[in-house]
Amino acid sequence: MSPAMTLLMGLPFAATVVLRLVGAPVGRRLPPATAVRLLTVAALVTALATGFVLAVAAFLAAAALPPVAALGHWSTAALRGGGTMPTTVGVLAGLAVSVLLAAALRRAARSGRDLAYAAWMCRRLGPGAGGLVVIEDEHPDAYALPGLDGRVIVSTGMLRALPADERRVLLAHEQAHLSHRHYLYVHLTELAAAANPLLRPLASAVQAAVERWADEIAATEVGDRRLVARALARAGLAQATAPVQVPPPASALRGTDHGMAARAHALLGDAPRPRRALAGALVTLVVITAAAAALTAHDTEHRFEHAQALYTSSR
Amino acid sequence: MRLSRTSGRAAGALEREVLASLAVAGRPLTAGEVLAELGGGLAYTTVMTTLSRLHAKGALRREPAGRAYAYSLASPLEALPASLTASRMRRLLDAEDDRASVLASFVAHLEQDDERLLAELLGRGRPADGAQP
Repeated sequence: MSPAMTLLMGLPFAATVVLRLVGAPVGRRLPPATAVRLLTVAALVTALATGFVLAVAAFLAAAALPPVAALGHWSTAALRGGGTMPTTVGVLAGLAVSVLLAAALRRAARSGRDLAYAAWMCRRLGPGAGGLVVIEDEHPDAYALPGLDGRVIVSTGMLRALPADERRVLLAHEQAHLSHRHYLYVHLTELAAAANPLLRPLASAVQAAVERWADEIAATEVGDRRLVARALARAGLAQATAPVQVPPPASALRGTDHGMAARAHALLGDAPRPRRALAGALVTLVVITAAAAALTAHDTEHRFEHAQALYTSSR
Repeated sequence: MRLSRTSGRAAGALEREVLASLAVAGRPLTAGEVLAELGGGLAYTTVMTTLSRLHAKGALRREPAGRAYAYSLASPLEALPASLTASRMRRLLDAEDDRASVLASFVAHLEQDDERLLAELLGRGRPADGAQP
């Protein structure tokens, strides 16, 4: 492998490591809407780039084997001119890309199933005036059921726990999840994390930022950040002290970084600032990663064209 | 997103607030009572319009109460099958132990530190509105 090619193919992995390290803190510092969008794009581009580079590495190693070269009509000598891909690296890359692709496909299937189930549930719940479904259940609970025509589900236990102005916060928060299609970002970053498990912290960061985003929309709607913090606190405590304890859902965000107290704390401060430099740095990283994958494709194609030309002329 | 706004609320948002109030009121409410419950700079006519619209959609039923109408939910909540209780539905949707879920929940699982911080926040917030001792 030429040093330039090695560098190019290494870039998506370097970006993966950087994103893994800075994903969560960047997600907290950027305004939530920006964080969700940028981190989702960063996760998808990086996952695609790493998968692609692994596939190219496997292909290059295979292409240097004489039987494969004969099949593809290219000159192995010409391929070696640009440096060879060690067979062991190629085999490992091939194994990795197959396992990761399978994981991504499983994840995509699961997302499709989940969303289809949610859509079916929405239909079953009927039209529901204003998209709200109130369920008779003493356990305080509230969530958004996603879909093109999603529903906000609230239990009577939750409604009774909150005064009217805080109920308004709760409803605005859940509606924001649906209006801004937050579930798409969550599913897409889960897909990226399946395709590149090192990006897992980005999926968690997006889930946390999505909640913050909905909190901020609710704050804008009611025009009182403290009121949103109070609603969060009361709803959280009502659920924590409810007589019937439902085990925490798998979707619950764990760790103090994502926790309810962190969300309430953020609301007690000022509204988030744009942070253009940080957003710009993240965009730059994404562009570099995408460019590295594109150049790898270009370079590889060029090498094979050259090798095929030599093969034909040597006949 | 609906564009018609009433005192900072999208039309759909006010409908949801009205429905939520009626769902937990335990008895039919008049427009005046709904207004008193919601507060927040709403006009009486706005509440009246919302109630009429919800009634026209079939979401509310109304009965005469003095010179006005008292409104309640058209379909009682109990009519929902037991499988649709919020927690059962959540368990169904969260069945797989993956982290992502189709649900985005308002309330996440509370850590102990969170609980203490939130209680403090409420202590500083508003002292008496029934929900807190």
